[in-house]
Amino acid sequence: MLDKMMKSKLFGWIDERTGAEAIIKSQLTEYEVPKNLNYMWNFGSLALLVLVLQIVTGIFLAMYYKPSAALTYGGYTIAFDSVERIMRDVNFGWLLRYMHAVGASAFFVVVYMHIGRGLYYGSFKGPRELLWIIGVVILLIMQGAAFFGYLLPWGQMSFWGATVITNLFGALPVIGEFIQQLLMGGFAVGDPTLNRFFSLHYLFPLLLAAIVGGHVHALHVVHSNNPTGLDVHEGKSTIPFHPYYTVKDAFGVGVFLTIYTYIVFFNPQMGGYFIEVDNYVPANNLQTPAHIAPVWYLTPWYTILRSFESKLLGVLMMGASLAILFVLPFLDRSKVRSARYRPVYKQMVFLFFITVVVLGYCGHSAPTPTLKLIGQLATTYYFAFFLLLPLVNKFEKTKPLPEEI
Amino acid sequence: MLKQLWIAAAAALALGMPAMTWANEGHGTALKHAEIDVTNQEQIRRGLTVFTDVCMGCHSAKYVTYKGLMDYPEIGISRELVDELRGDKPLTSGMITDLSPEDAEVSYGKVPPDLSLIVNGRRGGPNYVYSILTGFEHDPDGKVPDGNFNKYFPGNRIAMPDPLSWLDHDASDTAELEEQAHDVAAFLTFIGDPHQNERHTIGKYVVGFLILLTLVLYLLKKEVWKDVKH
Amino acid sequence: MTDQADQSRRNFLYVAAGGMGAVAAGAAVVPFLGSMLPAADTLAASKTEFEVSTVEAGQLVVIQWQGKPVFVVNRTQEYLAQVDGHDDMLKDANSEAIEAVSAAWMDTPEKRKYRSIKPEYLIVVASCTHLGCIPLFKPTKGRKDWGDSVPENWPGGWHCPCHGSLYDISARVINGSPAPHNLHLMPYKYLSDTKVLIG
Repeated sequence: MLDKMMKSKLFGWIDERTGAEAIIKSQLTEYEVPKNLNYMWNFGSLALLVLVLQIVTGIFLAMYYKPSAALTYGGYTIAFDSVERIMRDVNFGWLLRYMHAVGASAFFVVVYMHIGRGLYYGSFKGPRELLWIIGVVILLIMQGAAFFGYLLPWGQMSFWGATVITNLFGALPVIGEFIQQLLMGGFAVGDPTLNRFFSLHYLFPLLLAAIVGGHVHALHVVHSNNPTGLDVHEGKSTIPFHPYYTVKDAFGVGVFLTIYTYIVFFNPQMGGYFIEVDNYVPANNLQTPAHIAPVWYLTPWYTILRSFESKLLGVLMMGASLAILFVLPFLDRSKVRSARYRPVYKQMVFLFFITVVVLGYCGHSAPTPTLKLIGQLATTYYFAFFLLLPLVNKFEKTKPLPEEI
Repeated sequence: MLKQLWIAAAAALALGMPAMTWANEGHGTALKHAEIDVTNQEQIRRGLTVFTDVCMGCHSAKYVTYKGLMDYPEIGISRELVDELRGDKPLTSGMITDLSPEDAEVSYGKVPPDLSLIVNGRRGGPNYVYSILTGFEHDPDGKVPDGNFNKYFPGNRIAMPDPLSWLDHDASDTAELEEQAHDVAAFLTFIGDPHQNERHTIGKYVVGFLILLTLVLYLLKKEVWKDVKH
Repeated sequence: MTDQADQSRRNFLYVAAGGMGAVAAGAAVVPFLGSMLPAADTLAASKTEFEVSTVEAGQLVVIQWQGKPVFVVNRTQEYLAQVDGHDDMLKDANSEAIEAVSAAWMDTPEKRKYRSIKPEYLIVVASCTHLGCIPLFKPTKGRKDWGDSVPENWPGGWHCPCHGSLYDISARVINGSPAPHNLHLMPYKYLSDTKVLIG
């Protein structure tokens, strides 16, 4: 179908002026991809899909959402009222809002799987260091966008989540208070905060779109890694992206959309994990909810924060836990990429995945001494995983690599 | 070693699962279960009556308009009935109580919460509403005055006086009071998300269609990948 | 691609997947565009009640209906007399252009001429049908009160300041105006003797 289209006169006209044919060839029909990628490689295209879904639903929601903390009847605000108007009065508003809210969680599910795959198969290692680093930037911007977005409904969780996180920045020495006021636009989270968070919530996805472009470009320069982690030789062990990976990605999209729409239509709150119960209560700056925790996708970092007695240390370590991802490609010295042939690394990375889940669980639960201890142990391993990497290849006996994939 | 890790992970998950459901239930006494069917028009209408006769003495449901009471097929009461309920309030007005927030503050010490989203905004949802309404008891320690002691309310001391007169009711009335609590829980569940039935109906078609599409895409993928020699 | 059967099976699957994908994409457009249509609360506010007796004889008031300005004029006998005698100057003397209104209430020649249910109370959308400006009310005959902003044989009515469209006292557009139609009418009904429900 694509080749027929490319032979048309119209396409020829466009091609002369844009070089479209060369782009399509180099990026799709003649872009070589290892033939042995497994389904873990589907999450990249899915992340792109969710980004588009979020941007599109977001644009339509913004037509009705009003970022104002001015009070209305019953202790609600104009912002909260506008969200409820979307849920009740706007045609299909409920669908757009649930798609957007579930989409936020889906985005993180997909991206965390994508990152986990990169960790396991060593996709961060040379020559893909910069590809990985751009990916970490994307993760940080995503977390920022999610954080800004969560304030917008102006419910209890919105308000207190924003209060806690802006206070985090306040812990930094010298510049803390400055950054805090920069974020809040006042002395507490309030109407100016809501307005600027809305502005930034609209901006960040556009940044994301641009940086994702860079991520894909970088990928197409260094090409995909594969489950063996071997360098591939074009032709022999590769196939063109189109049609093979277009149909495979399309199948992945089908599976994803089925699960996603099932949640959107039948369980959009996901039992309080995707839309928290307390966020149906309007923000009240005089009363903190009994149990406050960030949305699930931020809880691992919240646990790291809580694991330290000193506020400043907690904040710094939380920052370090994200920053350390940037240097990961340089910490791991092993010549072998894939965990398949690295027995020690394989166990380390599996334990790391479990650790992140445990961190997430601890962050979601009310703090108890036991959970705190578990959280501290998990935090310790989180950092140990990275810091041990430079030593591992000194004693790790890698398995023999196959000749070809 | 890897196998052990998987077992450990599975065990952690199995242990964690119940905790995850607790996270979204009340932290105090386990709530009573209320079986809710938000497609049951009879029950929702009975709940509406309880709401307007009892709850609306103090509480509002500002996101529910009088017009909505006619327009949502799940309620669908007549214009005459709506006119009777709304008095001189406009059709497009929310269901706002006549009790002013200031008077409520004086009488009860706090402003009664709006009930539009009470089911969504409380752990346990309809179970919470049902349990609270049928949870008034005498304080076993005798500290909290009658009418303010509620077995299911966090901390047990509730500002809302026993709305259905559950405390010391005749045993012969139990079934009726339970039904009222049940009905109003159903009404409140419906108005918390008035498009939920529509959502479920559309959802069946959407998910069904996507399952089919995914199946076709799977067959296509298999077919195209026949070319690739491993 | 081994043989003919495989090729046709493959083509079938391509077409099936493409077709279903197109259906899915088409269906997905519905909620997005749908959300941009007026919301339920906007629609609920699309009817306006008005007490016409508050308009004094010979006066015009501008009220809002669906966010649009609406003229309500209490026409005196003198004004009503000005409706006749200039049919040759009008593009659509019998107000035949608007079917929805004809069906709702404009069922007699009288009503077509006066363009109202009760002749004295004219209720029209105040936007010039050319490009939406609000015309000026110049009800008296001739140039005496209005100078040369109106033609010499001015029957009394409205003059649009933006591009010079002219309407008579029944808000019917006068030949030579850039406006294509008479000022729009809307469905309305009298709830009581003097109370109208517009919309």
